[in-house]
Amino acid sequence: MKHMKSMNAKAHKIEVAVETGEAEEVVAMNAVVGCSTTFDPGWEVDPFLGVAGLCQPMEADLYGCSDPCWWPAQVPDTMHTYPEWGEGHDRAMDDWSELESVFPK
Amino acid sequence: MNANKRYIPNGSFKFFAACLVGGGLASQTALAKDYLVTATRPNQVVMIDAEAREVIATHEIPNTSMGNSPGALVVSPDGNVVYVIHNKWESVSGIDLDSGEEVFRTELSSPGIRAKAPFAIDISPDGEELAVFVTPTRLLPGEYEVQDPYIAIFDTSSGLGAEPVRKLDTPRRVTSLLYSPDQERLYAFSWDMLVLDPQTGEQIGRHPWRSWDREGFGEPDTLAIWPQFEQSQQFATPYFIDYTDENGNTTNKAGVWSLDLENDTVRFSEFEESSVVLFSSAINPVRTNEAYTVYTQLTKVDIDTGELIKRIDLDHTYYNVNVSTDGSELYVGGTINDIAVYDSESLEKKGNIMVPGGDQVLTSLRVVRR
Repeated sequence: MKHMKSMNAKAHKIEVAVETGEAEEVVAMNAVVGCSTTFDPGWEVDPFLGVAGLCQPMEADLYGCSDPCWWPAQVPDTMHTYPEWGEGHDRAMDDWSELESVFPK
Repeated sequence: MNANKRYIPNGSFKFFAACLVGGGLASQTALAKDYLVTATRPNQVVMIDAEAREVIATHEIPNTSMGNSPGALVVSPDGNVVYVIHNKWESVSGIDLDSGEEVFRTELSSPGIRAKAPFAIDISPDGEELAVFVTPTRLLPGEYEVQDPYIAIFDTSSGLGAEPVRKLDTPRRVTSLLYSPDQERLYAFSWDMLVLDPQTGEQIGRHPWRSWDREGFGEPDTLAIWPQFEQSQQFATPYFIDYTDENGNTTNKAGVWSLDLENDTVRFSEFEESSVVLFSSAINPVRTNEAYTVYTQLTKVDIDTGELIKRIDLDHTYYNVNVSTDGSELYVGGTINDIAVYDSESLEKKGNIMVPGGDQVLTSLRVVRR
């Protein structure tokens, strides 16, 4: 964590929790299902800091990321906030161009 | 004739009857085939004749979210009913695979409580109980109040409107639930692989995972959300782990960790320094040393020796892999709308099965013999 700086209040709480040995209490937030608790590199860069390890093609992973609220900053959270985003567009390989951008409510 | 009848020993008749029944069962077994069971967006469960590469049944999950994909699923031991998490992970339904009728349903959420079943679900080997990991959150006007998670145990004969017959205490982050074949143990894969009494939830054992204590090794990392252990009765998941040698050099290694559900024994091996992403694994039910792992590559390793036997590039990324009963074929699915078939010896591609409806996304790919 020494090379990372928290950018918001929740990230700061995690940073402090790690230092004070209370990380498990923060980890408990996984009960809200994925949202904002996943720190995997992923949508932009793979675990090896390249792009070859990203899902190929992107559409293969599109609903796999939106439906479990995995990376809600990169794809809409269809678990809670935008449950209708993908309705009627059930094949991402064919329907990706019909999916629209979303904006904070 | 009457005299002859009189002299037929009772035991012989029983033997004759047993032969008829046994013969019937044997012919049924001979006729039984492998079927793949999965789900597709927005609300379908699908059954496929694996050998014929043919979709033979597609049924709708009623009254569900049409924008969020069906989740993990498990098939009853008799192969007749599929139990699937759906409706933004807040409902579980049992769908009769022949009639399409919804024969079981439970709503996990209730007024003021939003409860989700992320992935972990399994059915007892006698088919009578369904175990589901549930994380509830109380929705208050200004905040979310995280509640303790639990494992809900349902009676599968409860029909629609089912409620848990009991709730078992559990740690968080349970991503897999697995019954032992004798039904004496319920495994919950959390920080460690916990061994629970399925009746009381009492922890009766533990296989270390996060608490692994191996010289030079850190904590392993995995994503075990795809149940595909039914063919070998061996749970398997790929993992990544840091290793620091005596010179202080740290590398990240990839391995496969496996639990024999029948014998409660663990084996694992690292087979390479991490070079590709690995998502889920399955063990061959015949050549039980062979583990197959998928993502954008299909990887075959010898879990006993730690040898990487073969790796091929797939046509696209897939999430899950399962194995035919005779161990000869691999079925690779999840993500979009096809299941690829590969030879388990050569890893040569044998075909594709297009699934109806939309993408499979994160649901399970199960094999059932019926």
